[in-house]
Amino acid sequence: MTEKVEYLSSQWRDEVEKRLKSELSPEKMKFITTSVAFNYTNCPQGKDRYLYFKCEEGAITEVLVDEGDPPQAEFTITGNYDLFAQITQGTIKSHRALMSGKLRLKGNMVKALKLASLADRLNHIMAQIPTIY
Amino acid sequence: MTEMLNNDPYFIDFPSRVAQIQKQMAKENIDCYLGSRLRTMSWVADAFCPWRSYIVIPAEGTPTVFTFVIDAARVADDSWLDEDHVLGYAPLGGMDQIALISDFIKDDLGVRSGRIGYESGMSNYLPEGNITLFEYEHFKAALSGSQLVNAHHIIDKLSLIKDEGTINRFREASRIVDEGHKAVKEAISNGGWKGMTETEIAGIAALAMRRAGSVWEWSFTGGNEIASGYRTGLAGGACTPASTRELRYGEPLMVDIHAMFKLALGDHAHNYLIGSATDRQLWHANNFIDIVSLTLKTYKAGISPVSLAEQMMDFAEERGFAEYMVPGFEHGIGMLGDEWRIGLNEGPFPFWTDPEHTYQENEVLICAMQYACPDDDIGFRYENPIVIKKDKCEALSKFGLRVEVIE
Repeated sequence: MTEKVEYLSSQWRDEVEKRLKSELSPEKMKFITTSVAFNYTNCPQGKDRYLYFKCEEGAITEVLVDEGDPPQAEFTITGNYDLFAQITQGTIKSHRALMSGKLRLKGNMVKALKLASLADRLNHIMAQIPTIY
Repeated sequence: MTEMLNNDPYFIDFPSRVAQIQKQMAKENIDCYLGSRLRTMSWVADAFCPWRSYIVIPAEGTPTVFTFVIDAARVADDSWLDEDHVLGYAPLGGMDQIALISDFIKDDLGVRSGRIGYESGMSNYLPEGNITLFEYEHFKAALSGSQLVNAHHIIDKLSLIKDEGTINRFREASRIVDEGHKAVKEAISNGGWKGMTETEIAGIAALAMRRAGSVWEWSFTGGNEIASGYRTGLAGGACTPASTRELRYGEPLMVDIHAMFKLALGDHAHNYLIGSATDRQLWHANNFIDIVSLTLKTYKAGISPVSLAEQMMDFAEERGFAEYMVPGFEHGIGMLGDEWRIGLNEGPFPFWTDPEHTYQENEVLICAMQYACPDDDIGFRYENPIVIKKDKCEALSKFGLRVEVIE
């Protein structure tokens, strides 16, 4: 894929889902069952948006992008659009954003620590998608 | 998460404890209790929480502990609470103590405009864990729709009388302490004391107690308190972290050691005279043994700290050693974090022992006495957890009461 897609668009979502499903096996995802919602504030279009992932026994079963409130998730991470865009591009590490208080996490921190490396894998794959931010 | 069967001698019915707290919260119109004291963490969560921790007790349902993230998984493993009820805080967005707990209270418990109990006061015990001014101000701002009320008395009242499982844990902690005393006595006997330091004795006791099942020499006073020579007789003193001082012939030795078993605390002091004893030293020793014996015979339900102190000081006066007695005969004890104060916060001095407190059956306290004669460089200490019974007390450490002259 060389054509760029718009960040958080339905085409971008489709590409994320396709790549995650093909590149992340349940083994690589340690057969985890979890869900995480990224709440984007200050989006270019004005309305807040979310990116939601659901993973069941290691398989990515749901990738959603939409406006408004996300489905109930085990973890919720809230931050502004520009920051998430930089994280997705790999120019800022998510742990740095969390440590500086620019991202706000909600959920069981101990479980979040266990999943941190898996979240990095998701980010790494998303960063490969040619995207217009 | 650690489950315990109800036929286990150390079983404590923690869900019932929580229900008692919630019943009292309902009476006082408290929607949520935010505990921060070490004693509260131990009494409700049944886990050692060495880092700043909090417990949020909802009006109904299971409490949730908040502790430093590096220790949260271990606390959850030790506690009867599962990992979903032991959460870690960290310096990350939304995860600091104030944000995490206030969000939990507002969003998860739905308490946005209620009454929230917190724990404030003062203590002579450093790790008490009352809410700090900073925490109070920031929780108040984060929970601005709610009213914050001091509610420490709820836990204090409910934890006063000990249940069978708790008392059995104290019995075991005392048995372990006795193993420490046996090891010390063996080590210093037959000239073994020569060249030995106080710190070495503290270590010998610690090793023996750990082998016997203790998880910590819990006291904040430096763990095991060992004093020799003039350090035993420091005026008014009853706190002697072990030093590197070497034991010497003809001097007293005070061995005050501490063990912890399932958050119950062993605390027993035994005294020696090294090598030989002068008549004057034996006079002091006999005074000490006699007043300890009399005190142990006197403890029972219905008496108070002040009535006991008057009686004992009269005895000391009559025998001519009142000036050597620190005029206190006990300190409070409970699961880890509950130390010093006897009874509730109802005495003439806030957050100190109420001298008129009437002892009741199944209260546990440390019978504690310090005899100190600085002029003669001699002193002795007695400490032993006791269970108050109807007509007597049960001394939990069984190591013999005597001042031993070690050859």
